[in-house]
Amino acid sequence: MTKKHSVLLKEEKCEGCTNCVKGCPTKAIRVHQGKAWIKEDLCIDCAECIRACEYHAKYTKTDQLSEIMESEYPIILIPPSFYSQFSAKISAQKIKKAIKKLGFKEVFDVADAAAALSRKTLDFLNNNSGTYISTSCPVIVRLIKLQFPDLIEMLIPLKSPVELIAERVERKFKEEKNIVPDIFFLTPCPAKLTTVQRAIGQKTSFLSGAIGVENIYQNIYESLEDIVLEEEENQLTTLATIWGSEGGEESILKSWQNINTLSVSGITEVKKLLDEIERNNIPEAIRYFELTSCTNGCIGGVLNVINPFQSQFNLEERIKKIREIMQKENIDLIRKDDEFYNFALSNKITADNVSKLDTDFKKAMQKLEQLQKEIEILPGLDCAACGAPDCKTFAEDVINGRASRTDCIFMLREQLGRLADDLSILANELPPVMGSKKEEADDS
Amino acid sequence: MSLQKQQILNKEIESFDFQSGGEASSNLKNILRKLGVPSQTVRKTAIITYELEMNVVIHSLGGELTALISEEELEIRVDDSGPGIEDLDKAFTAGYSTASNEIREMGFGAGMGLVNVKRYADQIDVKSSKEKGTHVKVIINLTN
Repeated sequence: MTKKHSVLLKEEKCEGCTNCVKGCPTKAIRVHQGKAWIKEDLCIDCAECIRACEYHAKYTKTDQLSEIMESEYPIILIPPSFYSQFSAKISAQKIKKAIKKLGFKEVFDVADAAAALSRKTLDFLNNNSGTYISTSCPVIVRLIKLQFPDLIEMLIPLKSPVELIAERVERKFKEEKNIVPDIFFLTPCPAKLTTVQRAIGQKTSFLSGAIGVENIYQNIYESLEDIVLEEEENQLTTLATIWGSEGGEESILKSWQNINTLSVSGITEVKKLLDEIERNNIPEAIRYFELTSCTNGCIGGVLNVINPFQSQFNLEERIKKIREIMQKENIDLIRKDDEFYNFALSNKITADNVSKLDTDFKKAMQKLEQLQKEIEILPGLDCAACGAPDCKTFAEDVINGRASRTDCIFMLREQLGRLADDLSILANELPPVMGSKKEEADDS
Repeated sequence: MSLQKQQILNKEIESFDFQSGGEASSNLKNILRKLGVPSQTVRKTAIITYELEMNVVIHSLGGELTALISEEELEIRVDDSGPGIEDLDKAFTAGYSTASNEIREMGFGAGMGLVNVKRYADQIDVKSSKEKGTHVKVIINLTN
């Protein structure tokens, strides 16, 4: 059975604390019999639980380099954020060569597709009215599908940079070389890995797999040592490398046109923003939202090795250097080869309707009433000792038959108290003959 | 004859309480999702209730929001205890606002509140007087 998600639980490491339960933005985790299980329907692969767990019981299962090398024709795609993992002194060309040396047939930059996507996005915004949300971060798209389904229509119907370049590379190799390559992504986050199995807005992903930065970083570092570049090889990558950090996409759009955009990173902040958008409490003048689940954007991805602050610095230094050498500030607004990309998403993005109490309205109303009563009864301390993140969520579990009221230690204590009261009353209700004896014994 | 409506929410709204302003609309949104109300209707409701709720916060001495539902329709009542809307016709005119400069500086008081409510509501009824405060009743159809 294929797993729906790439964020998984290492049972033997889980202590049954509720740190991840409390930190989960979609309330997808419950501790049951001492282990923090993830509810697959609610998980959006944001990796907040990986960040929250002190025992490293939550992890991401990505492909291993040895597994990838079993492929006959492995190709790897490198995201802009990956370059933040190295000092700007090490050229992108050198890094790419070091990766290729690990056994890949070709190495491609996702940044090229990101630049093309930015051009397409500007074109789309200029030809359509309304406000749109970027679809590049799969966690944000899943969050909207799950918790903000009424905002689905705001998602810009364009592929993410990774899928764009993967499709183009696949076609190129098929047409030019009659080769069907296996395309892998060097991923900073588990969410991108999940899209390999469960593509968004597409029938299937163009990727064969993904390997986490942490799984390959050391190999690359070691391989870097013996890389010598020829003079003409030392070209620099595109300025679109800036996509790797928060506001990157926005800055590219703004470099071309005075357009109102807003970029927000960090899933908690993004949720707050979506709430405001939902109630029309955001200026209509904003045309485009660049939203990323990880704070600081993709450089904040949980599978990265270098801390996000250093990464931010590295990326800024690299951009500066690219600007200096290319002697230009901005990315080209027109590029002929953009026509080789197939931007449009083939399928509609649909809602994940999992918040309903029941499909039948009357039954849902009954359950709502039960739920509101249950919430009244519970202590409202949100202590999570029951294994659910808060009393309201626990109440919902109870009325859906997935938990019992006495899983709440306060309810259990109350019930025990009542039981103890009953016991003491019963204990004093002895037959008269014995009762008198007892009194005598007490007097003595 | 529509079926008996059941109350699903009743929440007090305090004057000038910007911290909790918006909670009633958030709560109602979550309840409607649990009842399986279509997402576009949930959105409409969120916009309407937020506008009405903020009207109470900004302009009134405090009030409450009540929501009732049947399979056919959702009824939202927002009642406050004053000071009332002086000119109701003007209140439904785009851009008209009695909000103070301070409130406008906070980004409120654009004069679109009731205009927006009317735009998204299927029915709206506003009664207002100095003595009895403002009473808004909005109906949103759930069947179409």
